[in-house]
Amino acid sequence: MIELNLQFLSFMAAAVLVVIGLGGMLFLDNLIKKIIAFTLLSDGVNLALVTLGYVEGGIVSILEPGTSGAAFPTNAVLIFGPGIVLTNIVIGVSTTAVLVAVTMVLYQRYGTLKASKVLKGERK
Amino acid sequence: MNESISNLWSIPLFIIIPILAAILLNVLYSRKRAISVTAVVSSLALIVVSVLSPFGFHWFTGQPAVLPTGGYTYRADLLGWNLALEYYYGPLQQIAIFLASVLLLFVVLIAINSLKKNTGTYISLLFLTFMSAAIVIMVNDFYHLWIGVEIGSLIVAGVVLATGEAVSQKAALKYTFFSALSGAGLAIALALILGVTGYANISDAIIAMPLNDASLASVLYVAFGFTVLSWIYAGGLAPIHPLKADVYGSAFPHATILLQTQSKLMLVAIGLVILRLFGTLPFAKEVMLSVSVLTMMIGVVMAMLQTDFRWTLAYLIVSHSGLVTLGISLGTVQGIIGGLFQAVNDVVYMSVLLLACEGIYYFGRGTSIKTVSGIAKRAPWLAVAAIIGAFAASGVPPFNGFQSEIILIQASLNYGMPELAIVVLMVSVTTFIALFKGIYNIFLRPDDAPQAGEKQGMPVPRMLYVCLAALIFITILFGVYPQLAINFLNEAALKVVYIPWVP
Repeated sequence: MIELNLQFLSFMAAAVLVVIGLGGMLFLDNLIKKIIAFTLLSDGVNLALVTLGYVEGGIVSILEPGTSGAAFPTNAVLIFGPGIVLTNIVIGVSTTAVLVAVTMVLYQRYGTLKASKVLKGERK
Repeated sequence: MNESISNLWSIPLFIIIPILAAILLNVLYSRKRAISVTAVVSSLALIVVSVLSPFGFHWFTGQPAVLPTGGYTYRADLLGWNLALEYYYGPLQQIAIFLASVLLLFVVLIAINSLKKNTGTYISLLFLTFMSAAIVIMVNDFYHLWIGVEIGSLIVAGVVLATGEAVSQKAALKYTFFSALSGAGLAIALALILGVTGYANISDAIIAMPLNDASLASVLYVAFGFTVLSWIYAGGLAPIHPLKADVYGSAFPHATILLQTQSKLMLVAIGLVILRLFGTLPFAKEVMLSVSVLTMMIGVVMAMLQTDFRWTLAYLIVSHSGLVTLGISLGTVQGIIGGLFQAVNDVVYMSVLLLACEGIYYFGRGTSIKTVSGIAKRAPWLAVAAIIGAFAASGVPPFNGFQSEIILIQASLNYGMPELAIVVLMVSVTTFIALFKGIYNIFLRPDDAPQAGEKQGMPVPRMLYVCLAALIFITILFGVYPQLAINFLNEAALKVVYIPWVP
């Protein structure tokens, strides 16, 4: 029996975001919608990374005076996940910027946002 | 290993110099003289650092490894934990970064001489391409590996966009979309490995890998799958090869030299990481071998069908990536040496062919084998260079391609799979046919220009000939004295097979 705790639900939400994002990127024809789908996919990955470090009743991962040295490793949340998320947000913004810039240039050239027409080189 | 040379200050210079150069070049923007000086000095500095830097490690936190018995050590060859974010500079990294920095210098010199305006931004992208390749080849943690691949993908899109052609813009768009997918995949793989082992450092993760825990087998396979996806993407392997071929075919030929170098280094680096982390998983090597055979076959068939020499080369680069992955996928010492040597040789002889292609563009105002002809009369040395490059790529002795391909054939036979050796031979023969179809039409077919003087061409930068001569020298040198390169590759191959937790 799978226990419906917060971490499991969070992983499920991340999986749903990844699937929606992936589906959108692969099957939607509009370039702007594809870019939005990419941001959903990126959010799903970020949520998975944050959830990974979750510890039920955990403590902040800073060893302060008075914190029990023995309890710290088991109770402290894993901080590497949120650290990666910060990087992923920066990379996500950069990727989105490049995608939007190229989409704008292609729109000016072809007058359409439909990926099927743009990639074939057809005008609107 | 000497503890005093650990935490080397020279290793971050491979990242710091290109970043500083990129910032400065962007600021200079179109001041040609200042751009030339900055770019050449920075490239030379990278070559000097790659030669002079001792072998060793750099830990980003400066934190040493914790021994299982208690105490600390800076010696990564001991079984330690928590090495954290780490770069390693060894013989493999030295030859790879040295070659990449020499090629960067050549590409920068040609770009300065051939492009007319706004070269600062473009050349800064070339430096960042080098930087991403250097990160990936030196890294021993999943975090930097992921960042290196992600940054590399975005920069490739920028380099391709620099041509300003519609075909380049489409190639960049497709490539960036897929980079988003593969980057997300690598991030998930990182998360899964972190979750299963508790470590992002690859050495630590290998030691902590729960290979005997059946309940975690599915997680490991998913992590393996996502890492292979990013390997396929970064290296341009089948079935995502058309994306990479589009990128190679639509960038400036001189830029393609650096793009294919970056791609080969990523292919090698990620391939070795997969082998170290997942090599003992059942079916892992079979999956890798299938990808390499598929890439080789599809690449050469597509190369045969092309009518533009630039696109022929684009598909041959993809196909020869399959040769590199074949060696690595075998997972034996001989196979890995063959794969690594093939990567080194491939970078060199494909650079000869790409520079020859750039020369063809100057002489014939295009690279189509249907419209360009009779170049040999006007540029006999360019014809000689193209023929030498084609011989090397086809594995004809005494050029470098022959030496690495013979090792790959021997490794396949010793592995007990003669069919792989036959595939390597087929790739060699088909490469020969595809290249000489183009070379015959472009260089040797009588010039069919209706009026004399119509095909005057453009002035060829003299630097192109100098670079060609230097690369041909390396092609012959590694062909006659293969041990010169193999000496740098032995250590990496032995470590991967016998002590995979040591970078």
